[in-house]
Amino acid sequence: MDFANLASQLNAGTILPEGILIITLMGVLIIDLVSGRISSRWIGYFAIAGLTASIAALVFQWDSTHPIGFVGAFNADDISIVFRGIVALSSVFTILMSIRYIEQSGTALAEFIAILLTATLGGMFVSGANELVMIFISLETLSISSYLLTGYTKRDPRSNEAALKYLLIGASSTAVFLYGVSLLYGLSGGKTQLSAIAEGIAAGNLNQSLGLVIALVFAIAGIGFKISAAPFHQWTPDVYEGAPTPVIAFLSVGSKAAGFALAIRLLTTVFPLVAEEWKFVFTALAILSMILGNVVALAQTSMKRMLAYSSIAQAGFVMIGLIAGTEAGYASMVFYMLVYLFMNLCGFICVILFSLRTGTDQIAEYSGLYQKDPLLTLGLSISLLSLGGIPPLAGFFGKIYLFWAGWQAGLYWLVLLGLVTSVVSIYYYIRVVKMMVVKEPQEMSDVVKNYPEISWNLPGFRPLQVGLVLTLIVTSLAGILSNPIFTLANNSVTHTPMLQAATAVKAEVSAAITTQPQQF
Amino acid sequence: MLSVLIWVPIIGALLIALLPQKLPAVNVRLVGLFISGLTLLWNLFILLKFDVANPGMQLQENIPWNETLGLNYQLGVDGLSILMLVLNSLLTWIAIYSSSKDTPRPRFFYSLVLLVSGGVAGAFMAENLLLFFLFYELELIPFYLLISIWGGEKRAYAGIKFLIYTAVSGALILATFLGMVWLTGSKSFAMSDISTQSLSATLQLILLIGIVLGFGIKIPLVPFHTWLPDAYVEASAPIAILLGGVLAKLGTYGLLRFGLAMFPNAWSTIAPTLAIWGAGSAIYGTLTAIAQKDIKRMVAYSSIGHMGYILLAGAASTPLALVGAIAQMFSHGIILAILFHLVGVVEAKVGTRELDKLNGLMSPIRGLPLISAFLVLGGMASAGIPGMTGFIAEFIVFQGSFSVFPIPTLMCVIATGLTAVYFVILLNRTCFGKLDNNLAYYPQVFWSEKMPAFILAALIIFLGVKPNLLVRWSEPTTSAMVAAIPQIETQITKTVSPQIVLK
Repeated sequence: MDFANLASQLNAGTILPEGILIITLMGVLIIDLVSGRISSRWIGYFAIAGLTASIAALVFQWDSTHPIGFVGAFNADDISIVFRGIVALSSVFTILMSIRYIEQSGTALAEFIAILLTATLGGMFVSGANELVMIFISLETLSISSYLLTGYTKRDPRSNEAALKYLLIGASSTAVFLYGVSLLYGLSGGKTQLSAIAEGIAAGNLNQSLGLVIALVFAIAGIGFKISAAPFHQWTPDVYEGAPTPVIAFLSVGSKAAGFALAIRLLTTVFPLVAEEWKFVFTALAILSMILGNVVALAQTSMKRMLAYSSIAQAGFVMIGLIAGTEAGYASMVFYMLVYLFMNLCGFICVILFSLRTGTDQIAEYSGLYQKDPLLTLGLSISLLSLGGIPPLAGFFGKIYLFWAGWQAGLYWLVLLGLVTSVVSIYYYIRVVKMMVVKEPQEMSDVVKNYPEISWNLPGFRPLQVGLVLTLIVTSLAGILSNPIFTLANNSVTHTPMLQAATAVKAEVSAAITTQPQQF
Repeated sequence: MLSVLIWVPIIGALLIALLPQKLPAVNVRLVGLFISGLTLLWNLFILLKFDVANPGMQLQENIPWNETLGLNYQLGVDGLSILMLVLNSLLTWIAIYSSSKDTPRPRFFYSLVLLVSGGVAGAFMAENLLLFFLFYELELIPFYLLISIWGGEKRAYAGIKFLIYTAVSGALILATFLGMVWLTGSKSFAMSDISTQSLSATLQLILLIGIVLGFGIKIPLVPFHTWLPDAYVEASAPIAILLGGVLAKLGTYGLLRFGLAMFPNAWSTIAPTLAIWGAGSAIYGTLTAIAQKDIKRMVAYSSIGHMGYILLAGAASTPLALVGAIAQMFSHGIILAILFHLVGVVEAKVGTRELDKLNGLMSPIRGLPLISAFLVLGGMASAGIPGMTGFIAEFIVFQGSFSVFPIPTLMCVIATGLTAVYFVILLNRTCFGKLDNNLAYYPQVFWSEKMPAFILAALIIFLGVKPNLLVRWSEPTTSAMVAAIPQIETQITKTVSPQIVLK
């Protein structure tokens, strides 16, 4: 094989965004080694610059004519670009949050950022991975970095416990996933590339075979863990409570987005023959997640734990789009993940700000906050109301699109359950708003009474403020001015050949279904 | 042109929120009054522009918004909504006027009130189901906050109850809207795009029941009304005016607009049930009101009773009954507003709302004579005494419904009689009798505090003696709506209706 042919087969340009990220990562590590603690002043901004460059590179990849790279191991199609963008963006905001948080915990910032960038790298590669080994390696990069991040504040016993729990569950779920993946390798006659596996399975006439179903269930166990779908959610509340808050901000958005990207790619490409089965399984997961996430969140007293259950519930909502399996379904998932990024991170920034100033994150301690910190109150209220789906915030449009897509695909009961559980979710989101806004000055908690004077000039607070204002603006306006985001989400689906192939089959079926009502 | 009604209050709300913190509450209130007054004037201007002869949508605005969802910014006004818009801006102005001059957290209060006003106006004008739903849900959080920050003793409970009931109602309505659009295969949520006639009778019925339940919570109809006494009683006077005067109308408006007008076939199927339901609601409301010991609670239950008439009129759906329904919506709005305002004044001056403690307010020197006089007038208007707008509206309703549903109509007439009973109890216990010499040192009622009552009383009497101004707006629209119902019945029997052929 001559060099030109090899280069075109490799098509290394497809991973330019990740390449930039690797260089940034190396830069962060080397700068830390050379200049030590002094670098912590600006190392965060260096990482953000790298991530921004990486996102810019993603923009240039949009609609590329040769998306397949590395001899088929990596696919830079539009859907992967969107998800890689979500992962990278969530990392940007996580760094904005962590500059002060990590500094205050007395640990090294550069190391934290290096591990976070590695996790980002893993997440971005997962989004585009098109081959079993590649999927597994990038998934492990993401997971191992996440374990490290969870236990990063190593003097805190809760952080240690969370890391241990996450590691044990994570490692076993990866093992289960690996077992499913190796079954796929065997079933397809030794193929590792996703489309080749699908062909191999079809050629071997193995549709509906027990092996395929087992492989499917094992793969879903791994995916369900990443997106924290019930019943694979048990790690979520404990890890969210114990881990440093910026880390869970990343886990709730970046890691989850990577999980959904993997779910879309793996399920539509490898398992089209058992589509009914995986839809059934995901319907069960969605029902469980929506009910459990929303109902258990009612009884939480810790803010981070409540957000943990809320993120389980939100995963349930997003799964409606996946089960719908139509163009609108995938597009609504992309749209929801995009707005979820901003509203969730806005919420987490406020939680971090509050705990930086007061050192606690109990919901009861927020009472009477509006008097002392109006910006924080506004930010947290808007983000929580948006998560609850109140118009005209971004989350409302996200949910409407999910339900709309679900209804179009005939998932009436799932949509109705989504509506009912949204009502439940409003109750616990509004509880926090009530604490902050409704409580009288005399009902103020002790912590709020002793609230320190707001000063944004302390080191590391400025990036928090920038992150808060940015996410707050997007959360408030992304619904009303949603057309560009809708176009982006729709294009990411319609321009992706893999999803086009998957939904084409669906369209025929649904056409047959929609003719039915006229027979009444 | 219509957008002004939405955006002036909403932008005004943002403006008020950004006013300097040191500004005293009085000045914030003045800004609020100015903005809502401006909206009211604009609304009257629209009323002048309104072409009474045209039964369809007027002054339409259509801006494409979100193609993917089929959500477009489509506004329009017709005979069904024009009076509701006027009511909304009038009562917003009155509510702001009757709010206390030293409201705590004034900037937040007035911006929420204006936000609600803009949202309600939007819901009344929306010609797109999703747009309607958006404005409908927009009320949720501001009203929750208005009840639970500036309310009475049990405001936290009342606020949450209101929130949950309204959220459930919203979920039901959204599910039905999704069903309507997707099952009919419509491309967008625009009302003009959706025709439910292609659906089977069962499906139409299911969707209509969704609509009735969704809006029935908001109206509220009897089994779903339990949020209302708590919310009305715990809310402060201006908020109670908005809740009862405007928000309840959103429910009946939704029922007529999305129930009657969009499902004429299924509507005629369930009309008898609705008529009995409405009559039962009316009887229940009045009987419960008689048993109350708290004047605000009494007025709250009277509201349930009066809403029953609207359901009866909607069920009868003769041209006269529908005109009566809209007249009743408007007159109930202003009567409830005057009653809540007066109850608010009495509570502020006397310090209690208990029937057992109030006495002799009619006493000319040490009592509250003018306020009591207005209370008598409001009570009479509510009970349906001729010469006032309440009588006109109820009479048209009964006249229009009797031919279709005689028994429920008679039940409603009995309910009106009972209304007189509890208002007489109320007036007897509060206005008449002797003042307690030890307690009767009430603060003076300023002229500015009587102003809203003056305006509303004048309006009540004026519309009572010149009812044409109340009914002329809605006649063409309602007759067109009613015309749609027989037309469909002929369509079923003859398979091709002459009207469609002629088109």
